[in-house]
Amino acid sequence: MTMDFMQDRPDGRVSVRECFGIDTGLMAPMFAERDDHVPDIDPAYRFNPDVTLAILAGFMRNRRVMVQGLHGTGKSTHIEQVAARLNWPCVRVNLDGHISRLDLVGKDAIVVREDRQITEFQEGIVPWALQRPVALIFDEYDAGRPDVMFVIQRILERDGSLTLLDQNRVIRPHPYFRLFATSNTVGLGNLNGLYHGTQMLNHAQMDRWNVVAKLSYLPPEQEADIVLARVPEMDDPAGRARVEQMVAMAALTRRGFAAGDLSTLMSPRTVINWAENCQIFKDTELAFRLTFLNKCDESERPIVSEYYQRCFGVELGEAGHEAEAGGGALKPT
Amino acid sequence: MTMSAPDAVCAAVRRERLCAAVARALTGDAALHYRSGRLCRQVRPLPLHAPHLRSDATQDDFALLRGAADCAAMRLVHSDAALHRSLSPTPYIERLLFEIFEQIRCEAQPAPGMHGLARNLRDRFESWSRGYFRAGLADDHLGILVYTVVQIAWSRVTGWPVLGETEDLIEATRAGIVTQIGTDLAGLRRHRCDQRAYARHARELAHRVASMLAHARAMFGDSGDDERKPDDALSAFSLWVDFDESHEAGAESAAPGASLSLDPSAQGYRAYTTQFDREVRAAALARRPLLRDYRAKLDERIAETGINSARIARELQAALAVPHRDGWSFGEEDGRIDGRRLAQIVSSPAERRVFMQERMRPHGDCAIAFLIDCSASMKAQIETIAVLVDSLARASEQAGLPTEVLGFTTGAWNGGRARLQWLASARPSHPGRLNELCHMVFKRANDSWRRARTDIAALFKADLFREGVDGEAVEWACSRLAALPVMRRILVVISDGSPMDAATAQANDATYLDAHLKEVLLHHETLRDVDVVGLGIGRDLSAYYRHCATLDPAEPLDTKRLVGVARWIGARR
Repeated sequence: MTMDFMQDRPDGRVSVRECFGIDTGLMAPMFAERDDHVPDIDPAYRFNPDVTLAILAGFMRNRRVMVQGLHGTGKSTHIEQVAARLNWPCVRVNLDGHISRLDLVGKDAIVVREDRQITEFQEGIVPWALQRPVALIFDEYDAGRPDVMFVIQRILERDGSLTLLDQNRVIRPHPYFRLFATSNTVGLGNLNGLYHGTQMLNHAQMDRWNVVAKLSYLPPEQEADIVLARVPEMDDPAGRARVEQMVAMAALTRRGFAAGDLSTLMSPRTVINWAENCQIFKDTELAFRLTFLNKCDESERPIVSEYYQRCFGVELGEAGHEAEAGGGALKPT
Repeated sequence: MTMSAPDAVCAAVRRERLCAAVARALTGDAALHYRSGRLCRQVRPLPLHAPHLRSDATQDDFALLRGAADCAAMRLVHSDAALHRSLSPTPYIERLLFEIFEQIRCEAQPAPGMHGLARNLRDRFESWSRGYFRAGLADDHLGILVYTVVQIAWSRVTGWPVLGETEDLIEATRAGIVTQIGTDLAGLRRHRCDQRAYARHARELAHRVASMLAHARAMFGDSGDDERKPDDALSAFSLWVDFDESHEAGAESAAPGASLSLDPSAQGYRAYTTQFDREVRAAALARRPLLRDYRAKLDERIAETGINSARIARELQAALAVPHRDGWSFGEEDGRIDGRRLAQIVSSPAERRVFMQERMRPHGDCAIAFLIDCSASMKAQIETIAVLVDSLARASEQAGLPTEVLGFTTGAWNGGRARLQWLASARPSHPGRLNELCHMVFKRANDSWRRARTDIAALFKADLFREGVDGEAVEWACSRLAALPVMRRILVVISDGSPMDAATAQANDATYLDAHLKEVLLHHETLRDVDVVGLGIGRDLSAYYRHCATLDPAEPLDTKRLVGVARWIGARR
């Protein structure tokens, strides 16, 4: 069964400069044919040069790459889009606190064969992927339980093989198997209160990731381009000016979050949602209220409405007045 | 500190808070905030001297306040302070104009996507111009000269038209000087994105204008009587500017908070003698039956307010408790198999509730101390404060948070025995703090609220209220908190103004205790071991405390207000 895949290897090369628009002479390996597991190409996707190079290093040199960043920065999508352009099959696994060792390695399951119930070992996702030329992405890596994550300790090493204890079998990884992970934190747990459910990672394991790339938010022009690519209805001078304001607003909330004034922030995903909602409701302010403002804590709304005033030059109506009336008892600084 | 209605203070504090939040978001500098109406980084006021940046939260309307905050933020973002300092000229007038030109440059920088910000900047400058003009400062020919230069420079660099109201009035002056300063004005516009190149033209322009002013002044100087007149215009202008040299120097050299008064003694803050200081259980200061009466009175007050302490407790718990593993929760539909229910799986296979999960319970890993300023002026508000502190202590206990209730006053008026001792030893100079401290403990962290209830009622004993040495009291409360085995410590200082001790102020100087309080607060702010927050009773404490709030004692306390206080105490900082 494994032999079919052993022959699969990237058979072409593609120029990184042409494919990702990064100024370098690198050539990346590429599969000639797309199979079912290759993600679709999103032509609007913008690559961050540093992170792209890190991910390409993962594909070309078999490095274990972890991408870390705040939510909505497009970490997983970034890996997927690189894989999509290399025609590299890609499997995403969302880790959560309930993923157990059995899910990852495999378990005995009851199957019906020749009208008889028999117990058979079924491989989990890790041995399955390990034997194929597949990029395995562990999403929300820091949400996995640290004790369970030791299952992948061996395969984090480049030539580390996986021993299936249940079957007394040793699986050697396919030469074009690749492993990636994305996480919100750097494995130190939920420091800022934003990411509930993240775990402190074991640092012996963190140490085995060869490359840790940090993906932060894009420069405003690029973010505006992405929004416009997603919501082409707004791509006229007036719409572009509005998107520019929306992106500036998002940037303010992010810096406000970093300064500790807000406990929520607008991710690029929120901005796209806002732009899409603008098309539905035909009213920027109402769309903003529905997309973001209602997610904010009541005590923080006056600050958000101040940001809104800076970007759009209009007051955000009732949010401020509510606070004026409601906060009458106490005015913290 | 000036007195103003608590309501106005509250509104001003709230507006400043919003403006500071925007300044932080625009600059990305989390340390910015307002202290006594000036934008500060940590405790240092920022050296922003352009006159239109001056604002007063209690008087200006909100739009102008916004403008001032935005101007300051743009300056911080677009100007390199070190470069600016190295390039700025020394003569007073030139430096003043140079400051304004640099500010104008920063305001002219594009802010993509921020139309409201651009409008705020413009409104702020125009409103300042209007104020300057209407105050009659541009009436004499020196005033109009400065005004005209600033107006043209602003208009040229930002590309906005000059203030329509005064356009005709400055026209004559403009025509007169434009030949002399035309090249530099063009240079300003051309180099508005390059601070260094811009500064060269700005210096030159400032120099030219200063020499025009000097020339004009020399002409007036001939007639002795008129001599003061031009200076009036200039000094009025600089009043608007307020080139605060001491702040500037402070920003560069002296340690923050080091008061001028501490310098002569060269050994910082000290107490003349600690022999008479004492720390007492407040209950020991009043007779038992009296305390019971006081408690009955306090209970009556609390009953009148109808405070829902469970609600406040929930608020505190939500803000301060952290999830903590505490045993197992059985009978779950997923999780780990509960071994004791294996038999049940066999007997009734359809029953799914055979799993168990780790149970997480909120656990208050945080201690709160209330430090009450028991100075004489607080006597009038003590009922409100007693109700507030008692309810919060009770609610905190329900939320599983240890609390301390502490108070500080002095053992005597006018220095007491410490001062007598000082007098007896022939009044050495710079004696330091000169009074008997009295630190009172109303409730220790280990006491339950039930046991401490009568002790808390000792707040009603009016003759305990004397003077206050805040700095040492905050230190004392922080050291008590530090001894508690918790992750987070919050000290709520409830006060109605600055430290006051007549004997100390007389023997040292008026700001001696103020400076020490600031020093202590700065220490804890930078160390971040204890969150010290100030609750002003009808007063704005932002001069001392980085995080403060104002409570209007005239309004009755109710659950809603207490929930507000609880939320504020628990806020993330």
